[in-house]
Amino acid sequence: MKVLVDGVTKTYRDGRGQSVEALAGVTFTVEAEALVAVVGPSGCGKSTLLNMLAGLLLPDAGRLGFEGALSAGRPATAMVFQEFALFPWRTVQANVEFGLEEAGRPAAERRAISRRFIELTGLGGFERKYPHQLSGGMRQRVGIARALAVDPAVLLMDEPFSALDAQTRQLMQEELLGIWERTRKTIVYVTHNIHEAVWMADRVVVLSRRPARVLEVVDVALKRPRTEAMLGEPAFVQAAERIWALIKSQAHAALRESPA
Amino acid sequence: MRRLLVVGLVLALVVAVPAAAQGPQKVKLGVLKLTSSAVLFLGAERGYFKEFGIDPELVYFQAAQPIAVALASGDIDVGATGLTAGLYNIVAGGVPIWVVADKGREWPDYNLTALVVRKDLHDNGVRTMRELKGRKIGVTQIGSTFHYNVGRYLEKEGMAPGDVELVPLQALPALNDALAARRVDAVATAEPFVSRLEAAGAGVTIVQTGDTFPWQIATVMYSAKFAKDRKTAVAFMKGYAKSSRHYFDAVLAKKSGPAFDEVVALTAKYTGASPDLIRKGFPYQDRDGRLMPGDVGRQTVWWHAQKLIKAPIAEKDIVDESFLREALKELK
Amino acid sequence: MSARPVVDRARVLERSRHPVARVVGLAGLVALWELLTRTGWVPALFLPSPLGVLGAGVEMLRSGELVGHVVTSLGRILLGFALGALGGVAVGLAVGVFGVAEAVGTPLIAATFPIPKIALLPLLILWLGIGEASKIAVITLGVFFPMAINTYAGVRHADPLLLRAAVSFGAGRWSLVRKVMLPAALPMIFAGLKLGAGTSLLLLVAAEMIAANSGIGFLVLNAQNLMETTKLMVGIVLLSLLGLASHYLLTRLERAVIPWKADA
Repeated sequence: MKVLVDGVTKTYRDGRGQSVEALAGVTFTVEAEALVAVVGPSGCGKSTLLNMLAGLLLPDAGRLGFEGALSAGRPATAMVFQEFALFPWRTVQANVEFGLEEAGRPAAERRAISRRFIELTGLGGFERKYPHQLSGGMRQRVGIARALAVDPAVLLMDEPFSALDAQTRQLMQEELLGIWERTRKTIVYVTHNIHEAVWMADRVVVLSRRPARVLEVVDVALKRPRTEAMLGEPAFVQAAERIWALIKSQAHAALRESPA
Repeated sequence: MRRLLVVGLVLALVVAVPAAAQGPQKVKLGVLKLTSSAVLFLGAERGYFKEFGIDPELVYFQAAQPIAVALASGDIDVGATGLTAGLYNIVAGGVPIWVVADKGREWPDYNLTALVVRKDLHDNGVRTMRELKGRKIGVTQIGSTFHYNVGRYLEKEGMAPGDVELVPLQALPALNDALAARRVDAVATAEPFVSRLEAAGAGVTIVQTGDTFPWQIATVMYSAKFAKDRKTAVAFMKGYAKSSRHYFDAVLAKKSGPAFDEVVALTAKYTGASPDLIRKGFPYQDRDGRLMPGDVGRQTVWWHAQKLIKAPIAEKDIVDESFLREALKELK
Repeated sequence: MSARPVVDRARVLERSRHPVARVVGLAGLVALWELLTRTGWVPALFLPSPLGVLGAGVEMLRSGELVGHVVTSLGRILLGFALGALGGVAVGLAVGVFGVAEAVGTPLIAATFPIPKIALLPLLILWLGIGEASKIAVITLGVFFPMAINTYAGVRHADPLLLRAAVSFGAGRWSLVRKVMLPAALPMIFAGLKLGAGTSLLLLVAAEMIAANSGIGFLVLNAQNLMETTKLMVGIVLLSLLGLASHYLLTRLERAVIPWKADA
């Protein structure tokens, strides 16, 4: 499924009536089965964009859409959240089944599907555990399994590994790539970590600071599957430096600004 | 150091001088602010207690039971109120309270309490205690004089205590409300509530206690500590006997006349009640304040049979008329 | 070694649990009390002995009197509690979910909540009679308010992230209420239940003291009227046992229903 973002604008109004323009005409596309990262300075509206793709927010101007066949019952998107957003009162299995419940799937079907994705994300044996009994990495796996279970056309990931420590993060990135190789979903991956973006993605959309617009879409000329050795390759370094150069001045200015 | 001494001396004088002075002795007297306490209001007003060196300090209570408790704790010296199971339990529990003189009897023609039946039931034929079998009768509390009344009404008809259902409603006004609202079938209550129910057409009196069975409903009582001070205790009795005789002659013997009206007026002054209501509420008592012989003992036997007091109490363990006898001897 | 050792600063933070002191303390107090009553300084009327209270309790148990009172009181409390809890949760949910209900409900609740329910008792007796209805009604009211307020707070404070997540997976309004708001509110609902349990006990005793001829509150009042202080103590001990039992039961229930509450 192709993702189209065309001239999207979003303005927030705060309690005092002051308006803040978050997005000012953001335009880019994501090809089907591609893994595209979106990076930008802090507070530039990356999450806002993702929420709009999920249907949780509406743009003030512009359009967001999907191109491609979508069979009935299959949702266009499913989201993986930075803070995991697991339901603490549901077991791992029940969490994974949540979207399937809302889609009206019968119990037996739900069980079968959830079991498949629990295995896929390496959660075998933890079905009856509660989120509070799991480590951060495990929790995010549940989040990923939950999103994958509903078989969305596009997977939206909002800084999914930011809340994890660096070691777990790296392992989870590898795992996600493995899962993506096997399921071949279109993924829109928001992150503020440039190295992560370059290592994971086919292309990186670089946003400016507020009011955000697309500065450049940087291609990543690395083969798949990605390996750790590629971290030193010139293609990697070039892409990363290019992105950093774009962002650096933006980041400086954003830092000096008062928080929104 | 010297200043401390001076202050101490002054304080000692301040305390000692009044104690040394020969004023009348203060006696705390617990009463209800009702017509039934008229004999004591009379004594206080006419100075009968002062005559014998007693200065009565009236302490008002809302019900009989708290007076018994205050006597037990020594908060008051003398109490003048109804005899309840609670009082008997205090004595049975090892804290002496002495019943020393008559302060009210249910007596023929001097009815204090009555059994009032709902008007609609009365119209449908419920005219005696027998027809109240299995029905609800409102009383103030379990262990109260009203409870005792109902027990005795039942006995007179040869019925058992369990033949009616007692509903305790705590206060006399609540009994009227319950009867008017048809929540109970009859109430055992006192004036002026009896007249109010009849006037409102809510109830009809079917038993007058005094006419049915006379009994020693209220007495004068001494706290254990007060009883030990023989001299003062007898002096109080002298004042009481004098008040009792005046009360009997003015109110009970005549039932009208200037002396009667005078007592009505001073009772109105103390209680704030209307003279019409007061006229109906004067209790009967012996002219000299003597008790009905053996009635206290009979009461404790009845309460014990209801399992509401631990053991029956022998009269000698609770009644002490010696103070009264001594006082009467010296008064003659 | 010539180096200076590290100073143990942690001792100040230590707090030992003293399990022995717990038991000995309570038992010692009761023993002291028993001794005091034996000396005869204080008449048995004023201070019944613990053994005497125990004996009276056993006697009342054997005669069936105790069971009768306890069963009556329990019946009233359980019914009133159930009604108040269900009503309170329902209203709290409605007010938390629907804007109109919130606009209408919150000022109403704020206005009626501070009224001491004991003060309403005579009014309730007037309207509903001196029978069971008025007693159960006052208990229901007393439980309703903490339940409604706590449920409302629990619902309002449901993690917005979880609500967004649920919506992103296609949850409609009813699903949101059932699967996110209600479970999220459960800890606060249980807090309300514990509050309500205490209130219902209080109101039960008050109601039974005004117009009843059975029940633990009646037992206490009756014993007071008759100056049977030993029986009075039995009633008081019963009430505190009831309070303890309800707290224990609710805590166990909470642990069973909210297994996820333990957060490390």
